[in-house]
Amino acid sequence: MVARRPALDAHCHLDSPIHRWEPRAKLVGITLLIFAFAFVHQLALLPALLLVSLSLYALSGLPWRFWRDRLRLPGTLLLSMLVLLPFLSGGTPLVSWGAIAIYREGCFAILPIACRFVSILTLGLIAFGTMPFATLIEAMRALGLPCILADMTLLSYRYLDDTGNMLIQMRQAMRLRGWQGDRFSWQHLSVLASVAGTLLIRSFERSEQVYRAMVLRGYGQARAVSRLQSPQLRDIGATVWVACVALTIAALEWHLRSLSQFGFGG
Amino acid sequence: MHVPDGFLPLPVIVGGYATTGALTWLSLRQIDRLPNPQAAIPRASLLTAAFFVASWIHIPVPPASVHLVLNGLLGTILGYFAMPAILIGLFFQAIMFNHGGLSTLGVNAAMMGIPALLAYRIFQLRRLFPKAYERVGLGVAAFASGAFGLGLSAAIFVGLLVTTIPTSLDASTERAAILTLTIAHVPVMAIEGAFTAALVLFLQRVRPQLLEQS
Repeated sequence: MVARRPALDAHCHLDSPIHRWEPRAKLVGITLLIFAFAFVHQLALLPALLLVSLSLYALSGLPWRFWRDRLRLPGTLLLSMLVLLPFLSGGTPLVSWGAIAIYREGCFAILPIACRFVSILTLGLIAFGTMPFATLIEAMRALGLPCILADMTLLSYRYLDDTGNMLIQMRQAMRLRGWQGDRFSWQHLSVLASVAGTLLIRSFERSEQVYRAMVLRGYGQARAVSRLQSPQLRDIGATVWVACVALTIAALEWHLRSLSQFGFGG
Repeated sequence: MHVPDGFLPLPVIVGGYATTGALTWLSLRQIDRLPNPQAAIPRASLLTAAFFVASWIHIPVPPASVHLVLNGLLGTILGYFAMPAILIGLFFQAIMFNHGGLSTLGVNAAMMGIPALLAYRIFQLRRLFPKAYERVGLGVAAFASGAFGLGLSAAIFVGLLVTTIPTSLDASTERAAILTLTIAHVPVMAIEGAFTAALVLFLQRVRPQLLEQS
């Protein structure tokens, strides 16, 4: 089954303070917040993480349905990875049935992971859901992303749908010819390898045409001029404000860790 | 086999980004040494998209199905372009499907990229086979690079999960978890290796130019 690619920048046309935030300044600010959030382990700070990320999300005006849809699949995967932790990790049983017990430490280990996961994922949606993909790459390029990486990202993104459709067509053609790929055999594996090989060959052949077309349009002659405008004072101010929030969270985490090391708290 | 956001402590995240940054820099330096690096970009980009889509192919292993990682194959075919390709593929997965994560992008890229670059080196061993056994050598080297690529990534993944998440696992539980997860990956390694070998032999028969850069 081929996965369907959800629209990443479907809501980038909305108007909100986060949408108006200059792309480079926004990327810097949100990256700082992501790293600060990844640093947090103290239970006392977890509500702050959720508060900051969800407040920024509300400020962005992105639909909550978008947030919920984006969270559903990775959230299920995360739960499936974490579900064993309360049974395996810890030494203080909360509940026990014979040899099986749910441990306090395991339950508490889940909380920071889940809160960091939700908060960082929300920040990612705010950063990438409020600007067009091309603008995102342009902003990353302006922030120092190497030219080869920027070009490869844009070209791969451009041909992702086409290549996905190619695979869908090939699978439909296989099914029409009686292919039943619901059981494992080495013969089936070989057929699927041929399908993937055909996908690579078609992409390879197409890339030669794409390169010739790009050269005709002046690719490699001169770098395209950036369309990004210089950040305004309010953009820099917003980034400084977000950086202060990130620093405060990191400092509080550091402080609470020091206190717990010296036995003043948990 | 992607570590999601929220799992890893900050030092591991920063270490992952540093490793990925160094490997990407090294790869880009090698790419810059090509006679015409710009000509190779469209090919690498479209192949990156093709690899990304090919990883959606599920192999039925009843009662479930497995999807292929293909990092060994990426290294085999793209060489030094494998590292940027993996970074881009994981970036797409993180922002489009929220699979993997933004904070763990560096760790995930290193976890997939190091084995891919080593798989590229393993694939070179096919030249050790005599001319009469060229096809056999190609198949064996492709199988080894595909299985090794997945195997090393799985080993890094299991090691990271077991050593960084549960702070109070006892040693015997930790050993059992490592053993179970390692054994679970052995059949998948065989499938990935066989798939890589079949695909490389198919390419050699139909479009050998794709393997020439390897």
